[in-house]
Amino acid sequence: MPDYNLRLIIPEIFLFLWALFIIAFDLGTKRKNPKLIGYLTMGGIAATAVLLYLYHGGISFNNMFKSDPLALFFKVIFLGSAFMAVGSSFDIIAQKIKNHRGEFFGLVLFSTVGMMFLASAGELISLYIGLELTTIPLFILAAYYKDDRISVEAGLKYLVIGAFSSAILLYGLSLLYGLSGTTDIVMMKINLALLYLNTNGIGWALLMAIVMVLAGIGFKLALVPFHMWAPDVYQGAPTPITALLSVGSKAAGVVAFMRIFIDGLYGFADAVMFPLDWGNIVAVLAAAAMILGNISALRQKNIKRMLAYSSIAQIGYVMVGMVAVSELGVGSVGYYMFIYLFANMGAFAVATIFNDNTGSDSIASYAGLSKSSPMISAFMAIFLLSLAGIPPLAGFAAKFFVFAAGIQAGYTWLVILALLTAVVSLYYYANVIKMMYFAPDNPTIKLNTPLSANIVLIIGVAGLIIFGVYPEPILNFALDTARVFGF
Amino acid sequence: MDQYLSVLIFLLVGVGIVLFTFFIARLIRPHNPYKEKNQTYECAEAPVGNSWVKFNNHFYIFALIFVVFDVEAVFLFPWAVAFGQLGLFALVEMIIFIAILVFGLYYAWKKGVLKWV
Repeated sequence: MPDYNLRLIIPEIFLFLWALFIIAFDLGTKRKNPKLIGYLTMGGIAATAVLLYLYHGGISFNNMFKSDPLALFFKVIFLGSAFMAVGSSFDIIAQKIKNHRGEFFGLVLFSTVGMMFLASAGELISLYIGLELTTIPLFILAAYYKDDRISVEAGLKYLVIGAFSSAILLYGLSLLYGLSGTTDIVMMKINLALLYLNTNGIGWALLMAIVMVLAGIGFKLALVPFHMWAPDVYQGAPTPITALLSVGSKAAGVVAFMRIFIDGLYGFADAVMFPLDWGNIVAVLAAAAMILGNISALRQKNIKRMLAYSSIAQIGYVMVGMVAVSELGVGSVGYYMFIYLFANMGAFAVATIFNDNTGSDSIASYAGLSKSSPMISAFMAIFLLSLAGIPPLAGFAAKFFVFAAGIQAGYTWLVILALLTAVVSLYYYANVIKMMYFAPDNPTIKLNTPLSANIVLIIGVAGLIIFGVYPEPILNFALDTARVFGF
Repeated sequence: MDQYLSVLIFLLVGVGIVLFTFFIARLIRPHNPYKEKNQTYECAEAPVGNSWVKFNNHFYIFALIFVVFDVEAVFLFPWAVAFGQLGLFALVEMIIFIAILVFGLYYAWKKGVLKWV
């Protein structure tokens, strides 16, 4: 019997079984206890984190499943985003979803299991399966308000775009397999380099593979020009699911990108390899994402659309660190995603709470919120300022490291552009804060938050302040993940 | 590029054969269309009404559950053939696989999907 080393996938197995248990429990108790099920889900995620701490480090299934620092780091982000998404969805479950509560939580957990498998994938097929397991539950979750046209439209749009991008990705992966003769990513790196040195004929096939894989993953990341689904889907989906899409699913795309490009196509990152390099293509896409995301966000009147365009811009900043292809580059991307988790999940949690109480998503309706709910307004201000990158919040440190990595790798033009667009982004983030604090009173607003949502908000604010003032532990952990790629 | 040349030739020959057969068929077949022949083919019956009718939702769910167990059976056959060499490990693995599918059946049953109303 081959050595499967099943010990390493205990966290994933547990989370999967727990998802089945949640669905069965909800059905078995005739859907009487929405709160209990929510807390059970959160407990299951916390227990998975403990199991992850106990069982990690090593290789199983013949290198198909790697439990290395990179996987561990991103799994923490996935579990955190699922935890916060579940925590902020209690009111939605109580008010809007009557018949499918267990399934809602169960699907969130299934998607998280997919992300965890994806982060550990050491070869292309398990990577692809992880990606599918991540997105298929999200199609259903995006369309979860069955009677709401916008939600159903969001689900359908996401399904069509998701299927399309999977097909493109798979085609790109098949080309990579055809060129290298293996699906193992490390072997692929070696074989591609050898093939490039021995023959001069792999140019067009490799370029096609790079473009297709980039497009396939770009759709998942909502990277410009593959972003057009994001605003509509983000607006229509239930807000906690939007948050999960924008943090968890995006971090999954980032780790898939790292595994394929920084590991498998490492030799083809440099401009020396022109036109076979992916570094310059990604840098141009990052520039486009930052410009288009930030400028489109300026005109948005709906908070979810505004955050959608902001997340398009944020992935542009992440890509600045990615194209650096260095220790600092990989480490800063990990750190950025970790901080983005707190800031973005927090902002969406406030949007969820506001919508649960007022039924509105428009930025104008936030007017005067600071008078009736000072705490939540202050939290929202912290989340938005961190997204904009104002010191001493953690968003500043995250942007700083990413830009430093970009400068170090010689992408000065990209970093200057990123700085300019970051200034633009301050306008639309500050606009919400202006509404909450300086707009005339709107006495009808009174926000009631469930306990679980308060926990989510406090985790978000604490994370941003603590890691903003004292970034060392997370930064060192993130830099440690770069060891995986041999930097 | 030499390796890819054979792929290109293969592609062209593949497309060519299809076009060639259509062409030959056009040359030798009789051409005699009449009203009944041009109707939509529906198991040799005369088609009645519009095809955009509403079906009972249950057909869809039954079909979906059927497909799950259909695929399970497909997996069971190669497993059964190779069972002699695989031993206990394969047995446990298949039990886990079936248990997950049975959970799906339990879920559908509990939700009352299997009841025909």
